[in-house]
Amino acid sequence: MDRVIEKWQDKVSEVVLGATKAEGGSRDKAIKIGGGTGVYFLQGEDACPNLPVIAMEVWDMVPESWPESLKANFNDALKDPVEWAGMCVDKFSADLICLRLASTHPDSKDTSPEDAAKTVEKVLKAVKVPLVVIGSLAREKDNDVIVHCTEAAKGENCLFGIAVQDNYKTLTAACLSGRHCIISEAPIDINIAKQLNILICDMQFPSDKIIIHHATGALGYGLEYTYSIMERTRLAGLSGDRMLSMPMINFVGQEVWRTKEAKTGDEVSKDWGSAKDRGALLEMATAVAYINAGADILVMNHPKAVEETRKVIKELCIK
Amino acid sequence: MKEFTITFLPEKKRISIDRGTDLLTAAIKAGIHIYNSCGGEGVCGRCKVIIKKGTYATEHSGRISEKERKKGYVLACRTMPQSDMEILVPEESRLGDIEVLTEEAKAKRLVGLYTPAEKVEEAPYKKGLKVFKHGPLSTKLSLKLPSPSIDDNCGDVERLFREIRKDRDIPIMQMGLSNIKKLPRLLRESNWEVTVTLGNRNGTTEVVMIEPGNRDGKNFGISLDIGTTTIVAYLVHLKSQKVLGAKASYNPQVDFGEDVISRIIYAEKEKGLERLHHVVIDTINSLIYSLAKEQDLTLDDITAVMCAGNTTMTHLLLKIEPSYIRKDPYIPAVNFMPVIRAAEAGIKIHPRGLLCCLPCIGSYVGGDIIGGILASGMDNMEDLSLFIDLGTNGEIVLGNKDYYIAASTSAGPCFEGGGLSSGIRAMKGAIQSVSIKNNKLSIGTIGKASPKGICGSGIIDTLSMFLEHKVIDRSGKIKDNKIFKVRKVDNVKEIVLVGRQKTETGKDITIDDNDIKNVIHSKGAIYTGIEVLLKEAGCKLSDLKHVFIAGGLGTALDIKSSINIGLLPDLPLEKFEFLGNGSVTGAKMSILSSEAMEKACVIANKMTYLDLSTSSFFMNNYSAALFLPHTDIELFPTVKKIL
Repeated sequence: MDRVIEKWQDKVSEVVLGATKAEGGSRDKAIKIGGGTGVYFLQGEDACPNLPVIAMEVWDMVPESWPESLKANFNDALKDPVEWAGMCVDKFSADLICLRLASTHPDSKDTSPEDAAKTVEKVLKAVKVPLVVIGSLAREKDNDVIVHCTEAAKGENCLFGIAVQDNYKTLTAACLSGRHCIISEAPIDINIAKQLNILICDMQFPSDKIIIHHATGALGYGLEYTYSIMERTRLAGLSGDRMLSMPMINFVGQEVWRTKEAKTGDEVSKDWGSAKDRGALLEMATAVAYINAGADILVMNHPKAVEETRKVIKELCIK
Repeated sequence: MKEFTITFLPEKKRISIDRGTDLLTAAIKAGIHIYNSCGGEGVCGRCKVIIKKGTYATEHSGRISEKERKKGYVLACRTMPQSDMEILVPEESRLGDIEVLTEEAKAKRLVGLYTPAEKVEEAPYKKGLKVFKHGPLSTKLSLKLPSPSIDDNCGDVERLFREIRKDRDIPIMQMGLSNIKKLPRLLRESNWEVTVTLGNRNGTTEVVMIEPGNRDGKNFGISLDIGTTTIVAYLVHLKSQKVLGAKASYNPQVDFGEDVISRIIYAEKEKGLERLHHVVIDTINSLIYSLAKEQDLTLDDITAVMCAGNTTMTHLLLKIEPSYIRKDPYIPAVNFMPVIRAAEAGIKIHPRGLLCCLPCIGSYVGGDIIGGILASGMDNMEDLSLFIDLGTNGEIVLGNKDYYIAASTSAGPCFEGGGLSSGIRAMKGAIQSVSIKNNKLSIGTIGKASPKGICGSGIIDTLSMFLEHKVIDRSGKIKDNKIFKVRKVDNVKEIVLVGRQKTETGKDITIDDNDIKNVIHSKGAIYTGIEVLLKEAGCKLSDLKHVFIAGGLGTALDIKSSINIGLLPDLPLEKFEFLGNGSVTGAKMSILSSEAMEKACVIANKMTYLDLSTSSFFMNNYSAALFLPHTDIELFPTVKKIL
């Protein structure tokens, strides 16, 4: 019997992250994501030119909220974003670094935008992979912080976030002038996601520099909602909706390491498994689900989860 | 049966209840008004109360947080006392009393423009409409009776009936005792020359009244549109079929709630129904009085009233308990209201004059829509047509002469000027059209008067123009732009359309981000409703041959502007027809022709109601429609070109 191969009208737009010397930056190489012409990993249908990539999360302060089982992987490197980022790239082979400027939050250290920009510069100098930079999710402060950082990282073609419907203009303008990419986020609503992309593009922002984030849910914490919205987005994009054909990102680590399953130590029943592996397994399982939903960038925390997820990506991609 | 005493705090109201009564019912009985929008189904979570003393059984609800539960919060509707109890009703659970509403708040709601009866223009009359045979709800017939003799010795009543039957074919006639009692003297004193009023009562004919002399020209009727936000009355000369005057007023029931649901809830309160009924009757009476005065008529010259209103408005008009309209399975007390005396409902016309209501289809589609369908002539068409009523409930109807599917989109009052910072009803001085040439704004007002505010068609024009000239972005947010200055009031961006020096009221006419958001929510609901109806009927937009638009938006609605903002589907302009207030037009047609009234009943019987609130398709597509014109621009090819 003949296999029926779905032919799609359009493809996922291809986004380049990072800029080499020749392109005006200082990265060793730029990373391409997206560009798929079918549903990923559906053999025969997907011409998936670029594999999903993994960004490892690095904070500009010690992540106190992280459980020991996660912190232990980085030890003292957690105190210095430069060292931490270097470790992620050299030791754990991260494709990208996702720098979270958590200390800029007014309720945290309230680090100034200028100092935040310096951290970005330092990390850019220390590692040669492309950078994802997000603020502290305190919106007003973020606007200030990100404007400084886009300026400091000018030419490096970083991915900045996070633009939302009520707060996208400053971020978009900053990314436009610094020629960076942008994360556009909508709360599990495909229509708002599309509306936000239209609004961003209406500011003359190129659509091939947008990455969609639909909000991420950890396994057991609403993953299925995000999963189905991501599928719908991908199918809409492949069917020719240019405002939904962007690659997608998921903040897997951030969500998984908030769950009680990942945070609880060994004080619970043995049925839970050892705390050392539990969180990493949950992170990997969540990440793998998102790869299948069509994620192009996974932001992850635990080195073991990163390693295992990478293996899955490779296996899935054998033609 | 065991009784418990429940004390409500802080007012310390006591009431004794039977075992098995829930706290919500107890509170209502005690005259404490607790918010509940689901009707005591345990769904809305608004009837939170705090238990201070006593034992009880309650169902736990996700509407109460863990924190609240520890403090003793329960849902009143889900809680049964099992002993005497003390209950604290917190402020947020109380339904605001009308007395609580400050004068200032009331004034603001009505923008200081509440005039009890003011002139409106009659709705445009549709060309090519099927003309129904003249046969009004009440007819006056002047008769010259032969005086009796030994040879012609039948009784006075029989004599009268015989004379009437010479003129028209009425086998069965009714007549009340009071009229019969008056008859012998009246006939003789008037020298056997009298005028009888024949009323059309539920298929039979009644001699409503008898007057001396020839008065058959003095026969007037009132056709009424009782809207959730607006009431419109026409004075109709029943013989010549002419409309002699038209007046309108806000529905004063808005003080008790903006939409039908909150009014039903209010009606459930002690004396609530009474109040709602009285304010609407008072307004109707003052509209009728001023119409009559203007034409030098006495109220006795008015013999019939035809009323078109949605189901809730009809119930409140007649002071019928509306409670079950909003409770599963949503059953109104009456859909096909028999003809009654207007006086029974409190309407002041001739004491024996008749009141007829256009039939309702169910809880959420009423006689106003039937009136609109009559006015559109859809009932006579083979082609598939769409009827849209841009009122508070935003009803839409798809169909042709054989079937109708109706839905209510709950659009809100913004197309009637409600809920907008400078919105007013379509009245003299309302801005009804707006355009920009060479970066300069020009406005058109109703009656070319100096501007007072913006009515529905004006707000649609304004938004379309804002979008085209990039004053707002596609999500409706005001941007910095070259044409208008943008100012911030309480952190909300607003634009001054007309400065206070040039307005009638001495106040700036403004539009702010929230106004625009309101309009977008309304237009999104209507557009998505249309999508759902078409999908349910298995039809495409291109199958539509006619789109009729009704509503009190102003005398002129710009169809192109309505398409630009995504209120109406992007179809060729010649398919659209604006009916104005279709409801009152339908009421007028029905008061003038019993044939039209019969047709109204046929339409009502052929109509099915589709509940949008249970449609997942509606929910899904609604947020896509909350964009200008729509998230999917491909649905609006002509708008795509201008953006």
